[in-house]
Amino acid sequence: MVALVIVLALFFDFTNGFHDTANAMATPIATGALKPKAAVAIAATLNLVGAFLSTEVARTISGGLIREGDGGIQITPVMIFAGLIGATLWNMVTWFLGLPSSSSHALFGGLIGAAIVGAGFGSVDFGVLVSKVVLPALLAPLTAGLVAFIAVKIAYSITKKRQRNGFKHGQVFTSSLVSLAHGTNDAQKTMGVITLTLIAGGFQATGSGPEFWVIAVCALAIALGTYTGGWRIIRTMGKGLTEIEPGQGFAAEASTAATILASSHLGFALSTTQVSSGSVIGTGIGRKGASVRWRTAGRIALGWLITIPAAAAVGAIAAFVALSGTVGVVIDTLVAVGVIVGIFVYARGNRVDARNVHDEPTVLVRPKRTRKQQKQDAKALRKDGAES
Amino acid sequence: MIDWPAFFVVLVATLVGASLVVTLYSLGLRLVDRPADHAGSWRRPLGIACFVACALVVLYGVYLVIPYFHQ
Repeated sequence: MVALVIVLALFFDFTNGFHDTANAMATPIATGALKPKAAVAIAATLNLVGAFLSTEVARTISGGLIREGDGGIQITPVMIFAGLIGATLWNMVTWFLGLPSSSSHALFGGLIGAAIVGAGFGSVDFGVLVSKVVLPALLAPLTAGLVAFIAVKIAYSITKKRQRNGFKHGQVFTSSLVSLAHGTNDAQKTMGVITLTLIAGGFQATGSGPEFWVIAVCALAIALGTYTGGWRIIRTMGKGLTEIEPGQGFAAEASTAATILASSHLGFALSTTQVSSGSVIGTGIGRKGASVRWRTAGRIALGWLITIPAAAAVGAIAAFVALSGTVGVVIDTLVAVGVIVGIFVYARGNRVDARNVHDEPTVLVRPKRTRKQQKQDAKALRKDGAES
Repeated sequence: MIDWPAFFVVLVATLVGASLVVTLYSLGLRLVDRPADHAGSWRRPLGIACFVACALVVLYGVYLVIPYFHQ
């Protein structure tokens, strides 16, 4: 059971990595400041480095969301397992739809679902859920958006048009900073889950920090995920929300970095994904001549709204099955692997990778197009090419 | 329910930090770029100073990111 949880946790870490490449690297890729492959390589390296730099993991898996420990419930490895299934599957679905959604929220959601089934509604602290998760999720994009709006106004009022290509060089540094900040935050979630599972399973002393091998494999998993690159999400963030110019990209990255750093150091945690989406939208509003595709923004916001309930639902179902015994755990594992492989195979139908990441995201976020429609799209595209 | 003062501090810090980086970098770009009509010799060094100041702010960000430096 413990081994299964570790493998699943690492796969969750991997999906976390490729989900969040976009936060740092979507804008430099969109403006051409970095070549797609180079961008994901930098992001992966910095995530790897970041994971080793900061190994301070949480003492509770859910950060107080679930009443753990004394006077509360005991989160068993089976519940963690079910929660991780919920989180991972939801990450896969949102990746397939090209939606940037918070991996932490998916993890919280999955665990909540599993805890409700495993220990009843009383196990979840809904007050903490609202004040630590729901309200910050609302404030994060607003804060980052406002700051990015002001930043882009400053950038465009100081510089003249022909000077603005110089922002491309700056983008390399600001996006790297975002990547590093991400690396010092996100791999720790998985380290925490694995360490607490080991403690729960009696393999490690209570209150001890993560073992070195745990840190190493978590760092590798998130770096590998980052390098694989969630190209679908990169395309949504870089092309789907608004057209991004170098000055805008620089302002967006600077705002994202500033928001993440300020929030994590002044004790008001905000989600990286929501911050960077907010920044991109903010710069889209701030630059004259740029338009924000509110339909896409709306879909993303909807994705955020349903992340926790959806992951919770999957987590709850998985917990319900898994709690029936070993057979249930086996069924869960097989179904989860089946769904993950299925999504990967199905995603090959409209592949997005380093080569076509710059295409307009017509298929993206609306992937359910039939073969016939795809053929029509291709025909229309060829026609456009012939005319121009 | 929600820690509004903490949020306000974060908002202000973010605003100051991001504006500082963007202002310095933009000024740097503007000053380093040589205007065609008059070649002011003071502009280029000042522009480079802006870039350096901007780099320092970003390095401070790196300092904040790495917990090893401030435990």
